[in-house]
Amino acid sequence: MATTSVTSKRPNWMKARWWFTGSRPRLVITSLILLPICFFWIYPFLWTVSAALKSNGEIFAGLGLVPQKLEWSNFARAWTQAHIGRYFLNTVVITASSVAIVVITTSMMGYVLGRYRFPGKRIVIGILVATVFLPQGYTIIPVFELINGLGLSGSLLGVILGTSGGTPIIFILLFTGYFSRLPHELEEAAIIDGAGFFRVFWQVMLPLSRPIIATVAIMQTLQAWNDFLLPLVLTLARPDLRTLAVGIYAFRGEFFVDWSGMAAAATITILPIIILFLFMQRYFVEGIAGAVKQ
Amino acid sequence: MAIPNLNTRATPKPAAKSLWQEIWKARWCYVFMLPSLILTGMFTFYPIFASWYFAFLDWSGFTASKTFVGLANFQEVMGDGLFWGAFRRSFIFMLVSVPLQMLLSLIVAIILNDKALKLAPFFRTMFFIPVVTTTAIVGIVMSFIFSPFNGPINRILVNAGILSRPIDFLGSADTALWTVIGVFVWKWFGITMIYWLASLQTVPADLYEAARLDGAGRWALFRYIIFPLLVPFAIVILLITAVGSLNVFALVQTMTGGGPFYSSEVMEVYIYRTAFGTGGGGSVPRLGYASAAGVFFGLAVMVITLLQGLAVRGMRARRAS
Amino acid sequence: MNWFDKKEKLSRRQLLKLVGAAGASAYLLPLVEQAYAQGISIPDSGATLPSDNVTLRWVDSGDQKAVFFNEFFAAYQAAHPNIKVAYDPLPWNEIAQVVPLGIRNGTAHDVFQLPLSVSGAQAVSEGWVQPLDDFIPNFAEWKAKFPPGIFLPGITDFEGKTYSFPFTSNKRYGTHLLYNKAIMEQAGYDPENEPLTWSSFREAAKKITEQGNGAYYGFIMGGNQINRWADVVRGFGQMAGAVGGTGAQITADMNFLTGEYSYNTEEYIAAVELLLQLRDDGSVFPGMLSINAPQARAFMPQGAAGMILQGPWNIPQWERDNPEFDFGISTQPLPDDGDVWPLAISEGGANGLWIFKDSPNAAVAGDIFHYLGTLEGQTQWANIVGAADPPVMPESIANATLSPRAAQALNMFNEQVKVGPNPVVRNPDIVQVTLEMRTPEPSFAQVIQGLYTGQLSDVKAQMQDVQDRYTAELERAIAAANEKGADVSRDDWVFSNWDPRSDYGAEKYDEL
Repeated sequence: MATTSVTSKRPNWMKARWWFTGSRPRLVITSLILLPICFFWIYPFLWTVSAALKSNGEIFAGLGLVPQKLEWSNFARAWTQAHIGRYFLNTVVITASSVAIVVITTSMMGYVLGRYRFPGKRIVIGILVATVFLPQGYTIIPVFELINGLGLSGSLLGVILGTSGGTPIIFILLFTGYFSRLPHELEEAAIIDGAGFFRVFWQVMLPLSRPIIATVAIMQTLQAWNDFLLPLVLTLARPDLRTLAVGIYAFRGEFFVDWSGMAAAATITILPIIILFLFMQRYFVEGIAGAVKQ
Repeated sequence: MAIPNLNTRATPKPAAKSLWQEIWKARWCYVFMLPSLILTGMFTFYPIFASWYFAFLDWSGFTASKTFVGLANFQEVMGDGLFWGAFRRSFIFMLVSVPLQMLLSLIVAIILNDKALKLAPFFRTMFFIPVVTTTAIVGIVMSFIFSPFNGPINRILVNAGILSRPIDFLGSADTALWTVIGVFVWKWFGITMIYWLASLQTVPADLYEAARLDGAGRWALFRYIIFPLLVPFAIVILLITAVGSLNVFALVQTMTGGGPFYSSEVMEVYIYRTAFGTGGGGSVPRLGYASAAGVFFGLAVMVITLLQGLAVRGMRARRAS
Repeated sequence: MNWFDKKEKLSRRQLLKLVGAAGASAYLLPLVEQAYAQGISIPDSGATLPSDNVTLRWVDSGDQKAVFFNEFFAAYQAAHPNIKVAYDPLPWNEIAQVVPLGIRNGTAHDVFQLPLSVSGAQAVSEGWVQPLDDFIPNFAEWKAKFPPGIFLPGITDFEGKTYSFPFTSNKRYGTHLLYNKAIMEQAGYDPENEPLTWSSFREAAKKITEQGNGAYYGFIMGGNQINRWADVVRGFGQMAGAVGGTGAQITADMNFLTGEYSYNTEEYIAAVELLLQLRDDGSVFPGMLSINAPQARAFMPQGAAGMILQGPWNIPQWERDNPEFDFGISTQPLPDDGDVWPLAISEGGANGLWIFKDSPNAAVAGDIFHYLGTLEGQTQWANIVGAADPPVMPESIANATLSPRAAQALNMFNEQVKVGPNPVVRNPDIVQVTLEMRTPEPSFAQVIQGLYTGQLSDVKAQMQDVQDRYTAELERAIAAANEKGADVSRDDWVFSNWDPRSDYGAEKYDEL
């Protein structure tokens, strides 16, 4: 199923156009149906942003999305009482570090598995595939104990390692498949120039694998940004290390009834990643598509 | 997901060389694998074996006293109606959410794959937005949206005259699980849609053309041209989606916490509750027991995955012949 | 990456805001009349405190405690500039995880409350905590000033050492009536002068719901918070005559006259039926099953419901946050036949504080405990917290400035709550049973919720099932404890000389 994108000789717009027999009214009707669906699709987020700007009393008073009076104080409250700033920084540090760790380790692994033959290779592949099938049980406590044993409890490094540690084998396999298909001539020139094993990887092969790096980086970003149970358990005794997801969950626990403060905290958390997505949409979409295409 | 080809070039493998020489020659390979293997060992293998070990202990997870109890935990798991309830709900969750998510997103993907639809990128973006947002926060936001006391959904339904009295979507045993499933499908719909779009784009445009010349109808085109080409992708997408549907802790925990009266308690929540004793009313943390439940559930999932794999292989064999 | 320090600064600034007008003006204008909450002065207890910079970490279940401690710790830090207090008020379900996990990896707070699922005996036998004796200045003299029933062997004291300090009184209950006066008056009821009965409670809920016509409902409670279900049924059942204990599973719902659980009694069953009747009448706030108790409490001042069955801790919170909210308090609805029984508590103290066994700051904790256990500290506590968590020393209540509602509640508790017997005090070996005992699942509380949501049916059969499962578990735990060398029998739960209408004091144990 390793089909890479098919380059058609036809101009892009011709592709699959026939599918809808190209009739204009049909397209207009399709759009008119999809527009309200999309509105309802993102309505929860619109509601959240609007609630973040309303007073607690106004939130449940009506369905209107436009606040009577902008209550910016909700954001100030969320920022200071819910410590969103600190959680945000924690989350960014954890996400960025785990992406770096995962990309580097899985690409190195995928590189040697995809391009070299060496004793024990089959065993390694066998072990990796086996992990997919082993019954996992409940692993959070062993991980918790491991982090303690390493003396990393109460530090961000513990959360970073834990987040990077559950690396899906699929990332390694993505790199393996990609590297194995690259032609050998590529690194031969570098070897003639006297580049060593490491330099060939770092300067020639890794840059070539950019599409896979994008895929892995984005999947890992989503994974780390969304992770809940692991940071929840690892930061229970150290509230200052919480991530956004855990922090807001705890905020709800302490300020049960401050709906607008909650909405403001949620907005601060959700908006940046949506904006990031809007700007980097191509990478997100291509990266995720890459997971299926490879 | 190609399995690595083994043809490659490191050494032409002269039989005379000893194993050690070969290993020495490939030393960099081992160095390169080391970081990944260490991480996998620490965070995948160790926890798996540790939780198997815990499954045989009577251990709260927090105290020093551990007693080896053999298979007693497993026996108790098998006899626990709440376990089987959670087990059942995890599979309901999967069996409902996976087809729903795959089918609906396929339909939308086919519509959006039309390049003549100028707004397609916009729609695609909208459908994808929930994917990038943090699950735990989505869960919290949704508990407001579905709130029976003037929450927007109830308000719309009551104003429209569909309901006479607001429904407690998350607080009623009849609706809690289904509401969470609905939100789950909504949340991850976008990612499946992208998978489908990527797959659809591998269908060569010439095929459409050829089929049109043959006078095939739209359904025939889909049934005989596109569908067969999508099957290999569909299998991968099915696997990814099915695995994803077992990973619902954040959403369920933040929306219902498994309640009311266990009515939305899926396996992960059951295990979390028994492991940490968060059931309220003086329930006790029992890590050994929770591990046994987890191992048992893992075994069940493994068996199902293997059966699925066998079925796929059988299908392929049939197609190949 | 020193974010922790940043947090300190933040929270101190927050504190100032919290203390707000009342606190700040008292510092600035000493002439302001002695009012609600004035600055706390920290006396010297004689403790040897560290001279270098230390941070004391303290976690408790917050709520009204947080109001007091935020103010108190600010004053304490001002008096001891080298001591910082990092205070984490957390909900109970977080304490259930934070404390054990923290102990496990050595990052536990210096001072904590135990998770509700962990008994003191367990904490001591696991070595989680250390005795207070050496850290509280003039310990013996200090301890002697407490009323009887606060420090009990098997509860706070183990092998002659004192491990826990319950600094508030348990003489209160969490299911009395609080109501919106305007709504109640409109419906034609006046519970303050004529207490509601079970049937007039039901009628009032129905009337209020009709009168609200969708804008508000008769009755609200935090149905998402499991323990509330047990609390309500227990309160109603016991006041109707199914007398028994509260607290830990070896005493809760235990009738000490017979030594049997009360789950299958007529009174408990009728109490469950009453909840189902409210449901069937449509008198209950529609989102009740998806909100917890604090959320339910917050809906009251918004006018979403007419009545709530809750504890005295609502009073100061509403008086402070919703001064415009006109509410009344009254007794829990009384049984229709007029035969009212008091509620029994199994121990005198509440809010026990413990010191982590590896805490380097035990001396600081001891210094603070000392203050909390003086008449001055207790009075300050009463000034700020009022009836919510009454102080243990009766004199401090007399000294304190209480709101009329708080005073009314305390009087009510004095009448309606009595100290009951405690099997652990009679036979210390029963501690072993508490270590063995696991609450059966689904628990009593969960079964009531299940009946309410309609997932279970047949109240009588279900309560009999609860009765059987709890009894079996108790017997299993007793057998397991005896196997490990304890000497316990079911007879230890039978107190023939118990009169539920009066306090069960130390002399009663001697009579047995």
